[in-house]
Formats: sequence, structure tokens, C-alpha cells
Amino acid sequence: MSATAPRSGLFGWLDERYGISPLIEFLRHKEVPIGAHPMVWYYLGGMTLFFFVVQIITGVLLLMYYQPGEATSYESIRYIATKVPFGWLIRAIHCWSAHLMIMSLVVHMFSTMLLKAYRPPRELTWLTGFGLFGIALGFGFSGYLLPWNELSYFATAVGTDSVKSVPVIGHWLLLVMRGGEDVSINTLYRFFAGHVVILPLICAGLISVHLLVIQRQGMAPPIHGETARGMPFFPNFALRDLLLWLVCLTTLAMLAVLLPYGPGLPGMEWELGSKANPLAPAYPGIKPEWYFLWIYQLLKEFPAHLLGMEGPEVCLLVVSLLMGVWAVIPWLDRTAQRGRHSPGFTDLGFAVIYFLTFLTLKAADLGVAETPTNDAETAVVATFCAYITLGVAVVATLTRVLVYHHRWFVLSAAALAHIALHGLLGWSYLTVGAVVAVVTAVVLVASGQLRTGAEAGVES
Amino acid sequence: MESSTDAAKHTRRSFLDLVLGIGATGWLASVLYPVIRYLTPLPSAGPSGPVKLSADQVKTLDKERFVIVPVQGKRILVFQDPAQNVRALDARCTHEGCTVQFVPGESVIWCACHNGRFDLDGRVLSGPPPRPLSQYLARQDAEGGVTVTPQTA
Repeated sequence: MSATAPRSGLFGWLDERYGISPLIEFLRHKEVPIGAHPMVWYYLGGMTLFFFVVQIITGVLLLMYYQPGEATSYESIRYIATKVPFGWLIRAIHCWSAHLMIMSLVVHMFSTMLLKAYRPPRELTWLTGFGLFGIALGFGFSGYLLPWNELSYFATAVGTDSVKSVPVIGHWLLLVMRGGEDVSINTLYRFFAGHVVILPLICAGLISVHLLVIQRQGMAPPIHGETARGMPFFPNFALRDLLLWLVCLTTLAMLAVLLPYGPGLPGMEWELGSKANPLAPAYPGIKPEWYFLWIYQLLKEFPAHLLGMEGPEVCLLVVSLLMGVWAVIPWLDRTAQRGRHSPGFTDLGFAVIYFLTFLTLKAADLGVAETPTNDAETAVVATFCAYITLGVAVVATLTRVLVYHHRWFVLSAAALAHIALHGLLGWSYLTVGAVVAVVTAVVLVASGQLRTGAEAGVES
Repeated sequence: MESSTDAAKHTRRSFLDLVLGIGATGWLASVLYPVIRYLTPLPSAGPSGPVKLSADQVKTLDKERFVIVPVQGKRILVFQDPAQNVRALDARCTHEGCTVQFVPGESVIWCACHNGRFDLDGRVLSGPPPRPLSQYLARQDAEGGVTVTPQTA
């Protein structure tokens, strides 16, 4: 009776006109499932959203001074970083927040994958999330060029050149992206429009759908089938979220003040450097942002020609296929669809992590002082990175066995065998990759483990 | 009688659906075509004949043993080979489009992005580039001036 009684004040005025009471009731009863797995995984989406909001605010502030143009892009960024009061801070926060946003997004995506939160009825949440991941990479790629410095020029030249491999419309796409045959100031104009208008609009739409379906369906409960306890979303979970955002903001501010030009790691530095000169040769050590390093390294691993096609074309075809498979995982994992464990897909998640880790580390040239220029130095890098990845894998596998009682390791073992044979024995990355893939497929089919991996196993 | 009326309605409806479908497709095409044409950049304009290097470019060539010059919207690498002949190659690496450079000490053309190496004729020596670099005609006159012709050799 009291719930339906007319309310006074602003709430009553709004409720009378727009009927907001049901929404308040919905939020009052909304709960977050707890108890079965660590709650930390539930905060990553909100954290990513927080960093995105920081991006919008700092991006708008940067727009007050940034002037796209051949004679102004580099100069205006330098002016922001050196003359405008706190300009260096706004730029540093924008850059740091961009990297932290993609980091939390990647961890969010992998946690969703490993916990099988993509299973029905949440396929659309996964798909919109995957779309947002693509948009985030687009933001990173387009924003990278805007300072119009040497590093960004060549990174964009390499990145945009890849689209020519798209069948039929590849060359047209290249022209549209670059605004001409080559990367020029026309490319910057197009990237600027994409970075500040087109991508934000698409992103706003996708975020709306993503949040709407999450609010409608709630967060994914654990796969155990047990009745999980619930924590009220308001105010309990929301206050925790708020506290985490405060921690994120403080961390962001500290990082921006202490390391305004980035930590100096490969793919994670934003020193302005020299102005872009299309007539200067590329110099050693040019690398894209860290989240593109694995593709950059994979491009190096492919030979000039393979299977009657050019190496880069085959490489990008492989990357597209991997991305495509990743996007439709909710439909591939039929066991999780039935609310049961699918250890094979859990193991696939770990295999992908090892695959990406090794390639990223190798692209960063860990293990040598300078960019390797010969086969011997490249082999040293491969060995060093293989040891690191195998070390990480040992810790991860022990945790999986002892804490989570995982018993299915075929795919992650194959990924690690690939890394070990290439990094430690010096076998060709692609050849050994093909051999390991064939052997794994034969073992899976012969032992009937393909089914075992997809079906329920001892796993928590 | 009723069934023939239904059939007539069905035929009429199918026809109208078809007309509507064609109209909608035509409308969509008329909206998209100008946008696609608008986004497609015009070919870059520039002198079509041989290009003479400026005094600064020749100075760089003498000092660095190579220089990269724009010829008809393309980046061309002009370099002095060990026999002091001036030669020209497409400066865009055939792998992923980075700008290559001449390494005088090793007499190779090198792309720093993915460590691709070419010989002085543009042929791939090592690394991932799938195709050779295109050769261009370069000529040095008696006064030291260098001219590059935008046709492949």
C-alpha cells in the first residue's frame, strides 16, 4: 500500500509523469551472485567503463588545444605538453587511462571466457563486449597517429597496410583509411574524425546495449548450478564499485605524475619524439602499442610466401579466423550451453593466453639490449621469452591443479610444446606450430578426448 | 472462387513486395553511392615527367649515400651504389609499407620494421617481404644533378 502511495517532491513529480517507480523497484531487488568464485571478476567491467569515462573527459580537454594539420598536430601536442598549465598532466592521464582501460578490458574478457559467463542467455553480452574490444583497439590505433610523430607515422603505415589483404575491397579500404595511397596528413584527418566522432558514437551505442542486457539479465551466476548467495546491487555492490573507482583514479593520478611519458616499456611509451617525416626511413625498434605486439610478431614469423599466397595475407587471414572463432565461442561451447563444465574451452583460454604472452614478449625483444638484427640475436630473444612463458605456465598450471582441480590440459600443453620447441630448440615457429597442431588433432581424435574436453570434467 | 481471389491477392502482394524491395534497394544505393565516392580519395596530382632532385636532396645523397624523394606521390629511394652509380628503388617495403633505407656498409637495402633485406637491385635477400622493390631510372649528369624518372626500369 505504501509502495503505491503517491510521493511528493521531485521524485513524485517525475514519477507521475514518467513512471520511474518500477525502475527503482527493479534496482532495489537487483542482486550480484556471490560465493562461488572470487568477486574480483565482477568489478572489471565497471573499471573499464570508469577508464573510458576518464578518456572522454581528458579527450575533450585535449580537444580544446589540439589542432589537426600538417603544421599544427605535432606542434599543438608539444604546446599542450610543455606550455599549457597542467597540459602534460591531462595528456599523461589520457595516455595512461587508455592503456589501463585496454588492460582491464582484456582481463575482463578472459575472466568472462574462463568462467563461461558467455553461456546462454548471455551470448549478446559477449558479442557486444567483443565489439567493444574491437572499438577500443580502434581508439588506440587512431589516437596513436594524432601526435603526428615519427613512431606513430610508421606504426600507422604498417597497421593500415594490413587492410590491403582483405579480398576484393582491400585496396579500396586502404585508400579510404589513408585518404590516399600513402599515409599522409589526409590519413590524420580521417583518423581524427574516427577517434573523436565515429568511434565514440559506435561505442556509446554498443555500451548502451551491453549495459542494458547486463541490467536486464544480471551478472552471470557460477556454472556449478548451486544457488549462489546474492549481494544487493544498491547500495552494497555500487559502493564497492565506487570505492574501486576512487582507487583507480588515485592510481591513475600517481602514474601520470610520476611517469608522465609512460613506463618506457615496448609498446607503452608516449614520448613525443621527432615530428613525422614521410621521407625519413623507418628506424630500428619501431613497435606498435603493446596490445598489437602479438600481431606485429606474427607478421614477422610468416615467410614471404605460403600456400600460394603472400605471407602477410596468410598471417592476417589466420588472425581474422582466430578473432572470428573467439567472437562465436558462446555458440561453439555446447557443453556450457547446457550449464555444464567444458574443461576443453577453459584449457583453450589458457592456451590462448600462453600464445599471446610468448608473441608479445618476443615482439618486445626481451633478452637482448637492442633490437636484434640477425638470426643469432633473434634466437636469444626466442629462448628468453620461452623460458618466461613456460615459467608463467608452470605457476598457472600448478594453481589450476591444486586450487581449481583442473584435469584437462591438452590444448595448453600443445601451446607450450609449440613455444618450447621453437624457443628452446630453435625450430621454425610456423613449422613447429603446424606439426603440433596436427599431432594435437590426431591425439584428440584417437583418444576420444575431443569429447571429454568438451564435456564435464573435474573442474571448479 | 475464394482461392482464386487469394491467389490474385497473393500475386498482387508479391508484386508490391518486389516493387518495394527494389525501391528500398535503389534508395539505399542512391544514399550509399555518393558516400562511398566521397570517401574514396582522388588520385594524387603531380608532375608526370622526370623529377630533378633539389640541391638539398643531392647534398643529402652525397652525405648519407641515400635520400628518399617524393615522385608522383610515391616514396623513391635514391642511393649511390659501391661503384658510385646513382640508382633508384621504390622506398616502400613490399611487406607492410615501411620506408626502407640503404645501408652503405653492407650494401643492402634494409627495412627496420620487420628486418627485411633486399639487394641493390631490389631483390629480397631475407626476411618477410614477399616481392622485390620496383626499380626506377635514375641518372646523374655531369654537373652532379640527379634525375629520377617515374617509370619502372
